[in-house]
Amino acid sequence: MAYGFFLGCNMPALRPDVERAIRLTMPALGIELQDMDGYVCCPAFGTFPSLDEEAHLAVSAWNLSIGEQKGVDILVECGSCYSSLRSGKRLLDRHEDRRIRANELLAKTGRSYQGKVTPKHISDVLLNEVGLPAIRAAVKKPLEGLRAVVQYPCHTLYPHKTVGFEERSVRPHGLADLVEALGATVEHFSLEYQCCGGAGGFHGASKAEANQFAKSKLDAILAETKADFIVVSCITCLMHLDNVQKELSRDGASYAVPVFDYNQILALCMGFPVKEVASICTVSRDPVVDRIR
Amino acid sequence: MIDLDTTNKSLWQDVSPEGDLLFCYSCSTCIVGCPASHADPPLLIRNLVRSVVLGLEDELLDNDTPWTCVTCSRCEEMCPMGVEPFEVVLALRRWQCRNDETRIPMASAEIYKRGYTQPVDKAEEVRATVGLTAQLPTINLFPELHQQFKDMLMQIDVIKNANYMFED
Repeated sequence: MAYGFFLGCNMPALRPDVERAIRLTMPALGIELQDMDGYVCCPAFGTFPSLDEEAHLAVSAWNLSIGEQKGVDILVECGSCYSSLRSGKRLLDRHEDRRIRANELLAKTGRSYQGKVTPKHISDVLLNEVGLPAIRAAVKKPLEGLRAVVQYPCHTLYPHKTVGFEERSVRPHGLADLVEALGATVEHFSLEYQCCGGAGGFHGASKAEANQFAKSKLDAILAETKADFIVVSCITCLMHLDNVQKELSRDGASYAVPVFDYNQILALCMGFPVKEVASICTVSRDPVVDRIR
Repeated sequence: MIDLDTTNKSLWQDVSPEGDLLFCYSCSTCIVGCPASHADPPLLIRNLVRSVVLGLEDELLDNDTPWTCVTCSRCEEMCPMGVEPFEVVLALRRWQCRNDETRIPMASAEIYKRGYTQPVDKAEEVRATVGLTAQLPTINLFPELHQQFKDMLMQIDVIKNANYMFED
């Protein structure tokens, strides 16, 4: 199966090791990735969707039309990009007047949006298309003896009618299943389903409170589990949970739980080089990487 | 003291004409699960919805809290009355932008000018360190296409009226 690979902004610019991990692992699991020529920002919710709905849907339709032209669905890792593209699609598909207007705006560009393309989150493709047995079979270096916790990206859960791919949004288990397929034990804790707090304007507008919010989650992980690392499947969760630990490690406090995007840890288990697939981080990943042999 | 007899009772039609917010019964489910309800000042979506229904225009124009939303949409999932609170947050931001162009997100101008909110087209060095050497098909590689993208957006009133913010 082939997909248009929607990179977004943060992954290719700031965390290209995640992009590399995806580009190495997915084709090896039978998922062909095609570049999306001339794609633009999803649009992020804090941009055109906060300014004007016609602009929002024109930009959504611009990106969706690239997949449609190529005749492929779209694969997305970033939670915000995924949610933005899905909500754009939902609004365009359900409201003929908005679809007509978006196509009017697109007309001069020679593009159009017909509703034939679907953006899919990478966890959805891994769970429901690749499947756990194929992932288990691809593992050369299992995560034996390692314990993980997972961070579900909010944007892949809510609202379920727009973005959902698990049975329900409450207490999902897909990402834990994917991590267990690599041989790790997934531990559960009280704030498992709490948002990382890294998206949108919260951290920018109210940094001390946003850090405290993330701290409550990290404290619960440290108090209630013996986790060696955190697995996410969203570039915002990855950067925030990784970077915030440095901000929290002041005044004698010490937070150093390594954070991996799922495809990074998958890539290591499949034998790809750590320098390429998991080298960019704030909290050192060495304690985990050294145990994957 | 606000005299509720003189407030703009049709404000909701300007902010969110679908009218889903009229069904809010103030249960506060939207607040309990909201990350940005921990912010200072807190994002209290229920209060914003009440303010729209009561027509408190001046208070809402000055209110920065819609912009602290993390966009997680948990409120939308959990709201028992289908108010779609996250949509109300976005609608309030748009309404503020329509009434005060200093509210227009600078990041939307970034996308207009460069296509992205991050320097995707200037990351060759870090990309090469992880073995990504092929050039990305970013929109700046296709000047004609980029111009079409800009022309598409310039057809929209709120952008056209603030075009000095979007053009270099």
